[in-house]
Amino acid sequence: MAGVPARIIVRDDLSRSRVTVFFRLLLAIPHVVWLALWSIAAILATIANWFATLATGRPPRALYRFLSAYIRYAVHVNSFILLAANPFPGFTGAPGRYPIDVEFAPLERQHRLKTLFRIVLAIPAALVASVASGSGVGYTGASNTRSVWVSSFTFGLWFGILLFVVAFLCWFVALALGRIPQGFRNTLAWGIGYAAQLHSYLLLLTDVYPNSDPGATGVLGVPPPHPIALRIEDDLRRSRVTVFFRLFLLIPHFVWLLLWGIVVELAVIVNWFAALIVGRSPRVLHRFISAYLRYQTHVYAFATLVGNPFPGFLGRPGSYPIDLEVAGPDRQHRLKTLFRIVLFWPAVFVGWPLSYLLFIVSFLGWFAALATGRMPTGFRNVGAWAIRYSAQTNAYIWILTDSYPYSGPEAGEPAAEPAAEEHPAELEPEEAAAQPA
Amino acid sequence: VTRPVRVVVAAAAAGAWVTAATLLWTSSVVPDGLHLSGVDAHRYFGASELRRAASFERFERWDFVAAQVVLVLVLAAYARWGARWSRESAAGRIGTGMLLGMLGFGFVWLAEIPFGLAALWWERRHHLSQVGYVEWIFGNWGELGGEFAFVCLALLIVMGLAGKLRQSWWIPGALTFVALGTLFAFVQPYLLVDVHSLASERPGLARAAQRIAAAEHVRDVPIRVENVSGETSAANAMAVGLGPSRRVVLWDTLLDGRFGDGQIRFVIAHEYGHQARRHIPKAIVWYALFAFPGTYLIARFTRRRGGMANPGAVPFSLLVLVVLSLAALPLQNVVTRRVEAEADWMALRTTRDPGADRRLMQSFARTSYADPNPPTWAYLLLENHPTIMQRIALANAWEQRSRP
Repeated sequence: MAGVPARIIVRDDLSRSRVTVFFRLLLAIPHVVWLALWSIAAILATIANWFATLATGRPPRALYRFLSAYIRYAVHVNSFILLAANPFPGFTGAPGRYPIDVEFAPLERQHRLKTLFRIVLAIPAALVASVASGSGVGYTGASNTRSVWVSSFTFGLWFGILLFVVAFLCWFVALALGRIPQGFRNTLAWGIGYAAQLHSYLLLLTDVYPNSDPGATGVLGVPPPHPIALRIEDDLRRSRVTVFFRLFLLIPHFVWLLLWGIVVELAVIVNWFAALIVGRSPRVLHRFISAYLRYQTHVYAFATLVGNPFPGFLGRPGSYPIDLEVAGPDRQHRLKTLFRIVLFWPAVFVGWPLSYLLFIVSFLGWFAALATGRMPTGFRNVGAWAIRYSAQTNAYIWILTDSYPYSGPEAGEPAAEPAAEEHPAELEPEEAAAQPA
Repeated sequence: VTRPVRVVVAAAAAGAWVTAATLLWTSSVVPDGLHLSGVDAHRYFGASELRRAASFERFERWDFVAAQVVLVLVLAAYARWGARWSRESAAGRIGTGMLLGMLGFGFVWLAEIPFGLAALWWERRHHLSQVGYVEWIFGNWGELGGEFAFVCLALLIVMGLAGKLRQSWWIPGALTFVALGTLFAFVQPYLLVDVHSLASERPGLARAAQRIAAAEHVRDVPIRVENVSGETSAANAMAVGLGPSRRVVLWDTLLDGRFGDGQIRFVIAHEYGHQARRHIPKAIVWYALFAFPGTYLIARFTRRRGGMANPGAVPFSLLVLVVLSLAALPLQNVVTRRVEAEADWMALRTTRDPGADRRLMQSFARTSYADPNPPTWAYLLLENHPTIMQRIALANAWEQRSRP
């Protein structure tokens, strides 16, 4: 639990009741009403908590319990509405009873200065959360300070862009299959978990800063194997000079990406016909397009500060600390190849808010890296997630593989706690999301 | 290659250089032996005008000098310590060279910002510029990006050739840069986006321009007006393009009523004079004459640092390039002053109106605060046109010669 204000616990088995999924929004009405009422009390409690923590250096135990129950309840309600969990939640925010649960940093002394300026300090984290869960700055349309306050008490009501898109796709998949894909569930769990961290921080349960690192957010399990994998050998060190000039240093790469991309577009068309006829991508085309995809990954990593060194221009494997491993060419299902132009759209919908998230973390990371000479782990890992998803999506569109992009934020490390093993999450290809409900 | 052969080749190259330069120099239609000094500025300008112009240009000159000193100091420091940033590259030899080149350019850009802002403040104070400070810093990033791209392209050429040819890269390198210069001269008119025809704004002047073009045998060269009045109030015009892309371009500030039709006709005749005397192709040849020795000297100076094939030599090469450019500046100014004098002479021959020329020069001094008589060091280092007084003297000389 050390190092994060709150940690998500996932005990969900991915199965969903079609009936409750269909009526999910209607079923959530009593919870939304109750959460709104609870939010009013939580606002008053937080004000009291702020004064008390400033005065005594730690939150009073009763307020800590009340506010942690409020956040836990909000997590349950969000999980239910967003389809991250299946059962109808209770109304008390009781711990340990819901498949998506949260545990909080223990009640400890807090730094008074951090307490005094909590709202200002929370703005960068809220910016990330505004994309991840819609609970942060900008989403409410109010001024920064006000919207952080407002958002802290309304995140049970508002849906973030990323989570909204994923939940929207989940609704169709769950209705069709009675299950949701692991990647979608874990994305939702990450977003909800991060919002819980932000609100634990804002509501003064802890002075530990929110950590966007998917590995630190909670137990998300192991990602399924995928032919397009991201290898991270980055040490988080950043050269301040190259960070400062990063946009200008990208100019030759963007020119080269554009020029090479024109040829790749033609190659992809040929590749599509070839894969349709022979059932696999020709080795030459596969190698050529893979090199471009790898190069694009290197450049994106450099552009968004996920990687540090200036990348080469050839997309050579193993030449960059954020590298792409492209397997194959493997056999591809001809029907999937034929309808690829339709099937890839859900992945693009998910990729759009992820790209926005990548922009936010790289924008904030620019200041952090300039100040400290290091990229925060959370920002780097969230960025790597977005880049990996983008690469998998492009690989799918460019007929390098017929494996659907995996949207989950896990980086590949095994689960840190055995909670997920109680009801092992089965792997589910997200391709189901692309199929008609 | 043996030493005698080298000496012979070097002598032949030097001979070819001198021959080409002499041919270019003597191709001017301006008669030799004209006396362009000794005209009293007080005959044409009031004392307050002279003081104001001198004061304006004094600040600009010292700002320029300070900027160049800082530029050299920054590049000297970068030449000393810049190679350390090669460890921030996962690119190959050329990619790392590009990184180092761009970083050097980035440092220079940062170091030059205060001097640029000072010049802008001075121009705004004299109502010569309407550009805001923030707009000045952030408004030209597209252009700045283009310069970064050009740095990369130049390093790609140089380091690519140096990788293959080692120390001899400078010969094809210079040729390539000349080819690029030619290409740029050709496409430059198409890069001017905010332009319109003169006929749509001043039909009378457009007809006069046609007559001037016909008189100078360049009737196929169109004339355009570029909108710059949102950025500056200074008046200017230029001849651009090669072959089918040739144009004469007037800034719209020239047509805002501060200049009479006679003066504008003289400007048009001057720019058509550039086209008639093929000054742009000649400028490319001059560029080639400077490019070959320049690239040779860069190759020579960077040899001790592993040559231009080695990315570690890039920071030092930037310093060499800038120092050579500064050293060549007085020579380049000699060439451009002669070219501008020839265009003036052509305009005098075509318009037969030395009075308009003199009034134009007086207007330039009043509207753009051009110093009629700059100090000698500034004349040698900074003036790429004849001074206002030299241009008035040229008009007087033409008038004297044309009298029956």
